[in-house]
Formats: sequence, C-alpha cells, structure tokens
Amino acid sequence: MANGSEPVGLKRRSISGGAGSEAGLVVATEVAWPRSAERSESPFAQGVRRLRRSTTSLIGLAIVLALVLVAIFADVLAPQSPIASDQTHTFERPSRDYPLGTDQLGRDMLSRVIHGARVSLAVGVTSVLLALLLGVPLGLVAGFYGGRLDGGIMRVMDLILAFPIYLLAIILMVIFTPTAGVIGTMKVVGAIAIVRIPIYARLVRGSVLSVKEKEFIEACRALGQRDPAIIARHVLPNCLAPIIVTTTLGIATSIIVEATLSFLGLGTQPPTPSWGWDLKANIAFIQANAWLSLFPGIAIFVTVLGFNLFGDGLRDALDPRLK
Amino acid sequence: MRTYMLRRLFHVVPTVLMISFVVFVMMRSVPGDPVVSVLGDAYTEEDAIKAREAYGLNKPIVFQYFIWLGKLVQGDWGASILSGRPVLQDVLIRLPVTLELIVLSMGVALVIAIPAALIGALRQNTWADYTATSVAMIGVSIPEFFIGVLLLLAFSIGLGGLLPSSGWVYLPGTCPTMLCGVSLWGNMQHVLMPAFALGVGRAAILTRLLRASMLEVIRTEYVTTARAKGLSEAPVVFKHALKNALIPTVTVMGLQVGFLIGGAIVVETLFAMPGLGTFGIDAILARDYQQVQGFALITAFAFVVINLLVDLTYTFLDPRIRYS
Repeated sequence: MANGSEPVGLKRRSISGGAGSEAGLVVATEVAWPRSAERSESPFAQGVRRLRRSTTSLIGLAIVLALVLVAIFADVLAPQSPIASDQTHTFERPSRDYPLGTDQLGRDMLSRVIHGARVSLAVGVTSVLLALLLGVPLGLVAGFYGGRLDGGIMRVMDLILAFPIYLLAIILMVIFTPTAGVIGTMKVVGAIAIVRIPIYARLVRGSVLSVKEKEFIEACRALGQRDPAIIARHVLPNCLAPIIVTTTLGIATSIIVEATLSFLGLGTQPPTPSWGWDLKANIAFIQANAWLSLFPGIAIFVTVLGFNLFGDGLRDALDPRLK
Repeated sequence: MRTYMLRRLFHVVPTVLMISFVVFVMMRSVPGDPVVSVLGDAYTEEDAIKAREAYGLNKPIVFQYFIWLGKLVQGDWGASILSGRPVLQDVLIRLPVTLELIVLSMGVALVIAIPAALIGALRQNTWADYTATSVAMIGVSIPEFFIGVLLLLAFSIGLGGLLPSSGWVYLPGTCPTMLCGVSLWGNMQHVLMPAFALGVGRAAILTRLLRASMLEVIRTEYVTTARAKGLSEAPVVFKHALKNALIPTVTVMGLQVGFLIGGAIVVETLFAMPGLGTFGIDAILARDYQQVQGFALITAFAFVVINLLVDLTYTFLDPRIRYS
C-alpha cells in the first residue's frame, strides 16, 4: 500500500538532483520513467486533473460543499427556530408552511434538519482532524525511530484497536456524560477521536517504514539535515496520499458513528438538533407520521454518501493502487 | 500449524483480560453511583455504606477486579447490582438471539455480495457493473438503523403489517424459560428485518472489496493459463479466481466485527430484541457494573476469537500461507 502512494515527482527529483551529472544514471532514469505529459506536472496537479475527470467524485464534492454552506448559514436558511415548540401545530404534515412537517412538540422539521447539519459535520470533521493531529505524529515518530519508542506507542495503539469500536465509544460517552450544546458536541468529538487515533498512527507508521529506507532520505542525512526537518519536509509529504484518502472516508465513518451514538441517546443531547436523535425520537410516532424519521435519516445518508463519493474519487485520483 | 494455533489461543486470554480490566476501570470512573439507584427513595448514607460493603465497592479498584476475576475462574460471573440476577444466566439467555442475528446477517451479506461482486468484476464497465457498484455505494452510506426504519415502514407499516416491528419469538430449543413463544415461522418473521438491516451494510462493503480484488486476480497470468488450458468459465472463476480474491476481503471482514457488535446493539434496540446488544447498552446506561463486565467479557472474547478464525481462514484460502 505504502509503495504505491509515493508521488512520482518527488522520486524523480531526488534521483536526477543527486546524480545529474552522471550521464549513465540519467539515461537509466529515462528508461525507468517513460516520457509522458504527466512528467512535467506536480503530483498534486495530476491528482486534481484525474479528480476533475470523475463525475461521481465531483457530485460528492458538490454535496459536501453544499452541506458545509448549509451548516454555516443554518441560521439564515432555516425558516424557523429549530428548538422553539408550538403546541398549536404538532404533527403537521409537510405543507407550504412546514415543508417537512412538524414533530410532536410542533418544531419545524426542515429547520431541525438544517441545523442538524452543524452537529453532524462538526463532529465528523473535527473528530477526524483531532485523531489526525494526535495519530499522525505518533505514527511518524514510531515509524521513523523504531525500537522501544515504536514498541511503546504501538502497544497503546493496539490496546485501543483490541476493543470493538462501539463498546469503547459508548463507554467513553457514558464517562463524559452526554450534554447539549457546543460542549456536548465536543464530548462526542473526543470519544470518536480517541477510538480513531490508532487508525492514523498505524497507517502513517506503515508508510514511514517504507519511505525511510529510500535513498533520498539517506541523501538528506548525508547533507546533515536534522531528524525533525527530514520528517517534516521529506517523510511526511510522501505519506500524504493515504492520509488524505483515509481522512475523507474517515469523516463518513465518523458521521455514522455520531449518528449511531445519538440514536442510542449518547450523542449531543436535546434541545441541540441532531439527526440521529431526531430519527430515534420520532420512531415512536412512525405509524402515522413516517416522514418525521425519514427526513433525518435521508440527511444522514446524503451526507455520508457525499463524503464516500468524494473519498472514492480522491483515492482513485491520488493513487489507483490504494485500496 | 498446531503450535501456532496453541500459541494464538494462548494469546486470547491476556487480550480478553486486558479488555475486561480496562472496561472495569473505565466503568468505575463513570460519574454516578449504582448504590444510589439501588436504594432509590429509601437512600440514607448509612444504608449506602452498608450496600457498598456488601457489593465490595468500598475496596480499591484493582482489588475489586481481582475479586471479580477470582470468582470468574470458578464460573461465577457475579450478580446484577440492580436486579440481583446472576449475570452468566442472563448472558446465556440472550446469547442465542444475538448469535442468530449475526449469523443470519452475515448470510444475507454473502448471498448479496458474492453474486454482485462477481457480476461487477466479470462484466466490468457494463450497466450491470454500474448498478452493482452504485447500489453498493448507497449501501455503505446508510447507517443500519435507517435501513431498519425503511424496512419497518415497508413491511410493518406498509403491506398491512406483514412482519412484526418488535419483540422476539424463540427458535425451537432455544427458549430460556417456560414462558416464551416458540415457533420456527414466528422466529423467521421476527429475525428477517433485523438480519437484513444489519446485513445490507456488510453486503455493500463486501461487494466493493471483492469486486476490486476479483478485478486484480482475473488479470493475473494464472487465470489466463487456466482459461488457455481449456477450463470452462465456472471453475476458472470459482476455483481459481474467487478463492484468491477472498483473502483481502476476509481480512477486512474480520476488522468489521467491531462494527458488527455496534450494529447489533443498534438493530436490537430498534427492533426491541432481547439480545446481548440491548443487554449491554441497558447495563452500561444503568451503570450495572457486574452486567457490563459480563457483556464486555463475552464481546471481547467473541471479537478476539473471530479475529483468530480470520487468520486461520487464510491457510484454507491460500495453502502457501503457513503459520509456524
């Protein structure tokens, strides 16, 4: 997996830069790297070009961007307050006044679905970023230095991985005690991030192990560069492709985990609108008011689909061999 | 091979103990005191101290863990703090329900995924392939509980209540008490929707993985050789290609077990099934330490053993893989 992820441009530069004057080697590089239009492009530009060719990943990107806008401008977009109840208008069917109907407290479902995007996206994105922030450095250090440090870090990671993911996430949420609002959301972020740190640590460690044996790393050492500089400037960029792909698909997984925790009553608490919670709360009324559970469910589905489509496209664009 | 298996089996014990210890410590750092809920309105400080002493909750955590462990090796899983019922008895009553759910859902997953993946890989870039991959994409993006809600809407509320929306009828021979409904047909009616809700997502993941690895395998030289020597398509696909393509798929399915346990909790909650999932979540929410310990123990054990089985499947799928 890691070998496949190595951007073409970096390798070429390191070979021709190191031994440019030796005619034989230059010829050898020419043989190994056939002339093509792609050669002059940076790996990033190549990725973007491939991504633009894929309709499905562009659809995914469009969904993601649209949802981000909905989440940011929820206050403007929502026709009503998502938490204000109106006892005179409970269980309204979808109509012009209430496009998605109202729930048992007379709250406007459209407004709740729009505001629900905030919790879902915030948890999805932030938990993955937090897991990245902790997992990537751990993986870099473990892979680069090896030895006891590696053993120690990976043992802790394996301990977390030894748990069935939901068992750990549920117990963490019980310990954190679910609450409403921003703090309640941050607790969910923390629980999901902890469960997902080892995924990134392992992924990065695997890539580092293969990258650090490469000649250009040896060249850096010979030039007298210090370890932190080598890790930041040479090792990390060569591990980026799998990190980016796993991040995008990881957001989709985190959103599902958040929805599941909410469904079990362990996510962000009411009155903060959350899709998983709304879906669960409205199942009691499913017999006569099916749409109440349907719309939050569709919202979760579309969001996860968007990230999955985009993530799939990214994987194909950045590295066709990555699975 | 034999020594390898023994060594692996030997590793199961410390892993399970470690998980149970971490859960033990974590549960005791959960805010809230089970003694308060046991005593309810009759709570007095004096009774609370007595109750804590009776349950051994006044001793240091590590000490409590070893007491629990000491009883465990004698076959005593402890008793629920809230109901007083023996934990092992409850776990054994609920285990068959969850096992049936998980086995059937894996069955559903395989029955959907293998044909879909084969069609996708063998007819790559045709409408059949696009249909299979699109449906799989949709499948991985729907959480289990939403599939469950859609099934409820279709089969319990629509179609004149064809399938029951909740509850359970036991398979003949698995009824834990004298007082439960037992019938094969009733059982099938109750398990069908939960098994589909849990199986569809797994089917989607399987389809995507298997299609991708089939595409790789089908282009290898030994498949060309098999075709060149005149083998008909069926043995080429099933005997040569599929078996090798299953290896990476089995690995990922092993990793999926962690998600399957969460899925079982959710699906059992949605369909109000008396399985281990509802047992576990109820125990965690009620802070019933002993029950949570029992739940963690059986889950961790299942998790570790399934991962071991996954490793052993490799030797069957690819005889070149030998453990020593």
